[in-house]
Amino acid sequence: MGSSADKPKLIINGKRVDGRGFSEMRPMKIEAGVLKNADGSAYLEQGKNRILAAVFGPKEATPRHMAKADRAIIKCRYAMAPFSSLSEHGRSGPNRRAVEIAKVIREVFENVVILEDFPGSQIDISIEVLQGDGGTRAAGITAAAVALANAGIPMKDIVYGISTGRIDEHIILDLDMIEDNFSDADIPVAVSPRNNEILLLQMDGGMTKEQFKEAIGMVMESGKTISKIQRDALLEVYRKEEKRHEKNKKQ
Amino acid sequence: MKKIVLPGDLISEGDEYTPNTYTEGGKIFSAVAGMCTEDNRVVPLEGSWTARTGDIVIGTVTNVGRNGTYEVELEHFMKGMLMDKFGRTTFIAGDVVEAIVERVENRRTVILTKPRRLHGGTVIEVKPSKIPRIIGKNNSMIKQISEITKSNIVAGENGIVWIKGGDTGLAVSAVQEIERSAHISGLTDIIQEMLLNKGN
Repeated sequence: MGSSADKPKLIINGKRVDGRGFSEMRPMKIEAGVLKNADGSAYLEQGKNRILAAVFGPKEATPRHMAKADRAIIKCRYAMAPFSSLSEHGRSGPNRRAVEIAKVIREVFENVVILEDFPGSQIDISIEVLQGDGGTRAAGITAAAVALANAGIPMKDIVYGISTGRIDEHIILDLDMIEDNFSDADIPVAVSPRNNEILLLQMDGGMTKEQFKEAIGMVMESGKTISKIQRDALLEVYRKEEKRHEKNKKQ
Repeated sequence: MKKIVLPGDLISEGDEYTPNTYTEGGKIFSAVAGMCTEDNRVVPLEGSWTARTGDIVIGTVTNVGRNGTYEVELEHFMKGMLMDKFGRTTFIAGDVVEAIVERVENRRTVILTKPRRLHGGTVIEVKPSKIPRIIGKNNSMIKQISEITKSNIVAGENGIVWIKGGDTGLAVSAVQEIERSAHISGLTDIIQEMLLNKGN
């Protein structure tokens, strides 16, 4: 976070820097099954974010000492491409920050994937950020959930992630890079939409209890939209074929 | 009417276990992306192959051991051990064999029995979850393809289909068409139409 002295004006005439309202999400687009060689995959665009998620497995857990006798293990990789942002990601591969994000994402999916079905196995999730513009860990979760469903891995729910935060007294949703850097609070959240269970909650900054409640309310509200986009992306894989057959029939 | 369900979709009330579902609070939810049938069963549309005793599989012999033992590659990360005790057939590395799963050792190895060499032909890989659709009810689909194209077709549960003779190209495109549109009802008719139109 920047110090308050060099903090830019983030709210102008009741609008945010990119012209969005306080509870307005960036436009989101997901496509499922984009990679042929992966068991499941998804490509997500959220504003300027471009994220590719791929899933492999379940396969034999390696190294063998990592295998659990009663359930599968999840391995997660999160990495920002060298060209994903203006600076800081000059080297390829996961760095200290990426390893931490991979860990929290792994813990989100350990709660929803039915691991007991595959003892001794391993499920690989890789999240590659091709272009990052704030909120990539939340967007990565959204994309990885679609990739997991596309891979046919049994899970309890399709989770989604979104970030919320605070600028002065305003609670905002889906922070972009500038807001992420200069806001007073930034909270990535991952939620299981079936029972609104919160699976990830991190906070950078501070909020009052009332503001926090408002922020979570905003997240749950946006979740309806995100879940619909996720489901549509998964169903589109099958609808595409149905449309093609209908077209053939008419001819 | 069959409908497509996604993970977390409510299937029905109750708490009996059926494959590809989970129960919570007296309700049954789908755990995978699949088709929900009239009797509330979920047939997965995606997913890898889990070896079960009795599965017919197709693989390539990668290693020849002593006393008629062979190593067969079935799938990525999965190999089969073939022990042909009577030694009626000998295989060499590179042979394509059809066999039956006798026992599942662990996630990486299965024990195979009753091998049969598949001479020549074409081997294609499809998603293992679509194999039941390629075979069809009482082998209806696979019979139809082999009757029209005059090919020999063997579908392995591990997602490998072997095709030989006749109009191989047409049979391959039919199998790939089934893989793409496994969720569509009345597929037998669609494939029949496709085969007859392209065959002439």
